[in-house]
Amino acid sequence: MTKLLINSKIYEVDLKGHETLLEVLRDKLGLTGTKTACEESECGTCTVNINGKAVLSCITLASDVEGDEITSIEGLAKGDELHPVQQSFLECGAVQCGFCIPGLIMSAKCLLERNPEPSQEEIEYALDGNICRCAGYPKIFEAVRHAGRVIKGRQNKNVYVSASANGLRH
Amino acid sequence: MSTQTARNYTNPVGRSVPRIDGLGMVTGQAKYVFDISLGNMLVGKMLRSPHPHARILSIDTSKAEALPGVRAVVTAKDTYQIKFGSNEYFFPHTVDQMALESDKVRYIGDEIGAVAAVDEETAEEALKLIDIKYEVLPHVTDVLEAMKPGAPQIHESMNNIGVILPVNFGNPERAFKDSFLVREDQFYASAAAHSPLEPHVCVGQWESFSNKITLWSSSQAPFKCREALAKTLKMDLNDVRVIKLAVGGGFGSKLEMLPMDFASCLLSKKAGGLPVKITYSREEEFMCSRRKHGMHYKIKSGVTKEGILTAMTGEVIADGGAYCSYGPTVLAAAIMRIFMVYKLQHFRMTGYRVYTNTPISGAMRGFGGVQSGFAIESHMDLLAHDLKLDPVEFRLKNITTPNMVTVNKMILTTNGLKECIDKATAACGWKEKRGNSNYWKKGNIRRGIGIGIAADVMGSKMYKSHESAGSIVKVEEDGSVYLFTGAADTGQGSNTALSQIAAHALGVAYERIKCKSGDTEITPFDTGSFASRVTFISGNATLRAANDAKAQILEIVADKNKWDVSDLDIVAEKVTNVKTNAELMNFDTALELCYSFHYGRQIIGRGSYNPKTTPIDFRTGEGNVSGSYGFEAQIAEVEVNVETGDVKVIKIWDAHDIGKAINPQSVEAQIEGSLAMGIGYTFYEDLQFRNGRLVNGNFANYRLPRSIGVPEMETIMVETNDPEGPFGAKGMGEASLLPTSAAIANAIEDACGVRIKDLPITPAKIIKGLKEKNSVDHVNGG
Repeated sequence: MTKLLINSKIYEVDLKGHETLLEVLRDKLGLTGTKTACEESECGTCTVNINGKAVLSCITLASDVEGDEITSIEGLAKGDELHPVQQSFLECGAVQCGFCIPGLIMSAKCLLERNPEPSQEEIEYALDGNICRCAGYPKIFEAVRHAGRVIKGRQNKNVYVSASANGLRH
Repeated sequence: MSTQTARNYTNPVGRSVPRIDGLGMVTGQAKYVFDISLGNMLVGKMLRSPHPHARILSIDTSKAEALPGVRAVVTAKDTYQIKFGSNEYFFPHTVDQMALESDKVRYIGDEIGAVAAVDEETAEEALKLIDIKYEVLPHVTDVLEAMKPGAPQIHESMNNIGVILPVNFGNPERAFKDSFLVREDQFYASAAAHSPLEPHVCVGQWESFSNKITLWSSSQAPFKCREALAKTLKMDLNDVRVIKLAVGGGFGSKLEMLPMDFASCLLSKKAGGLPVKITYSREEEFMCSRRKHGMHYKIKSGVTKEGILTAMTGEVIADGGAYCSYGPTVLAAAIMRIFMVYKLQHFRMTGYRVYTNTPISGAMRGFGGVQSGFAIESHMDLLAHDLKLDPVEFRLKNITTPNMVTVNKMILTTNGLKECIDKATAACGWKEKRGNSNYWKKGNIRRGIGIGIAADVMGSKMYKSHESAGSIVKVEEDGSVYLFTGAADTGQGSNTALSQIAAHALGVAYERIKCKSGDTEITPFDTGSFASRVTFISGNATLRAANDAKAQILEIVADKNKWDVSDLDIVAEKVTNVKTNAELMNFDTALELCYSFHYGRQIIGRGSYNPKTTPIDFRTGEGNVSGSYGFEAQIAEVEVNVETGDVKVIKIWDAHDIGKAINPQSVEAQIEGSLAMGIGYTFYEDLQFRNGRLVNGNFANYRLPRSIGVPEMETIMVETNDPEGPFGAKGMGEASLLPTSAAIANAIEDACGVRIKDLPITPAKIIKGLKEKNSVDHVNGG
């Protein structure tokens, strides 16, 4: 049995060896939030995060990521509270058919964790692997910028909280 | 009473409320047919022709059936061999496709049979074990070759011409004689792929004890799919349930039943009722769904010295592929659209839709209007150039106006075309930029600006005699509201817009609405999501249903309180006296009354809408096809690198007469998506075939627009408040795609003097054009 750490839960799966992470997520674990539109690493729809990096699950062997920290779209919201990227995609009207959205959100989340204030060029490069056929991308860019501001705001707030807890700020 | 949800969005029409289905999409919880897994579900695969044209001599499925794990194999002999098609009402002779072909195959990928097995590997193995003997026939893949006498005959039609559409008005020859100038151009608009990210996918299940079928299908038109299934399987409509879930895009490719839908149901029957899922691979999606018609245009126009169009004639030849699909409609829309845009009294254009041994061409966002948009709007710029007129000035002399009847009897009521042109040109700085080579010149970079204009219908009666939409608004005891609509949201946001209309008309907050759409057993009929019809037609049905529900509530409120019902309305959650503006009662209290001991009245509002149009006379092209018309002007600014031929689109301005924006954010999203699709079509989307075989059927070789290189986009909404539209709204999903290629081509000519007349516009074509231009300039001593 292979132990996979997905969205902070341990799943034990019986692997033959050739299954991709995408197949395991969707077919074995019922985590169908991760989609695919090509299964050959061209569309970005199957993007998940592994150890904080955006990775294409369609070309990742499940057996290779044992012990790694895997996050899929299902692991982003905390209860009813959406992740800022999810919330921003919703508010900014970046969602149309929705099929590419989980992959886009996972790519955007990864970018913003590294850099919550990306330039337009940095956003375009980070999302270039994710095809969206419905939108012309402007609302997606806007959603990423907006989410970045929310994340930055929270980081600042956390700095304040931890600083005051240490008695450094009075 | 319900206190579960917030009630922030009262009077939601005109507000950018969040998508009603958005939460599911951002959390990955939204269910697509792609995600469905039912107990004991089998995997289905289609058996396809490896030949572009061949006669089927024999099919032996015995080895496949004997393979362990195979549960069913079907071929034409298991079917009634009834043909289906998409323009049955007006063009019965174009109903030409069999769910599974029995005697001939007409393109590489044509469906002959299907298998269902316990897993994908077994299903694929079974396909290989089916032994088919073919007599390979000569094939023809080029549309112009296919029209020549002696070309291989694909169907019974003369010279492979499946549809001829003559459109004739006035006397163009005489008008040409009286013209100051006559010019003729030829254009080619390429074949493109819809490429929805969710591929075609379906799950069919036959309920043997009741002889009913349920098909979950990623469909833009579940009721049309149901009609074709019922016809080909010889069943009653109410024995066939087609359900759409969240749909991952369609763009016209998911408007029809495909053989896979039929096969999954038949396989399920043969497998004793086990559900059968068939999922297209990306290659199948490119090859075996539908594609945009490649079209050749010849256009000849005359103008007066002042720049008034006198006449136009021409010819359109459309590469139809192996079967007719929506071909007649596409051809009609490609030709007749011009009457919505330009005033023309003398016109003759003949359309030919021609069979070839290539994948099936069908409807794609704009129904031929994208191809004609490129041809006509490029041609208009060339005419303006000959007349030494500014292209905007030239167009303004010739465009249609509000409240006019066109030569083919289209009734244009509200018409914001002039306002669109005025606003777009003002926003982009047209006067400073156009024709001004000095305003931007850096090294090898030249800038230019170009315009294209367009108009669109809001639906049209094509595949059946009516195009009615139905809605039901059901108000529950706690004041929560169901909207049932037959309209199929495929991602454009129609469930949201229709819910806004329902809430606004009923007088309640948007959050009260839950929307169920596109389930043929539960929701009322609707022809589907196409021709920019849903907001207008399904919106009107929804408006009527909500008004009906409201009238039922107010009748009880008035009866109980001895009020005059004509004084009452429900506005922003309150029963209100419209004369005094007094708030009389909460909506929740009114519902308590409706469902009280005494009244016990269920509130079920119903609405149906069929636009007031006239049938098209397809011998002439006459007919008022739509209940309203939408208009638009688009301007592109580009940079051309005259050394490399690279073109970069800097910005696109899009001014669109949408009647009234039900949801401004959704309107912008539709426009931006169209612009990106238009940029892809202009520069690189082009399906390539060799001997009938698709050579670029994947995302590596068939490029789609990606985030890098998307230009700035500015949307300008022009609200003409159409009296026939729900809250004044028109449809708008397609029009923004129509002029993009021409606006860019016109901008390129403005930038560097090169005119590209065949799509896609590649750096090589620009370099070639620059070389030709330089040699001409040289000869002319320029």
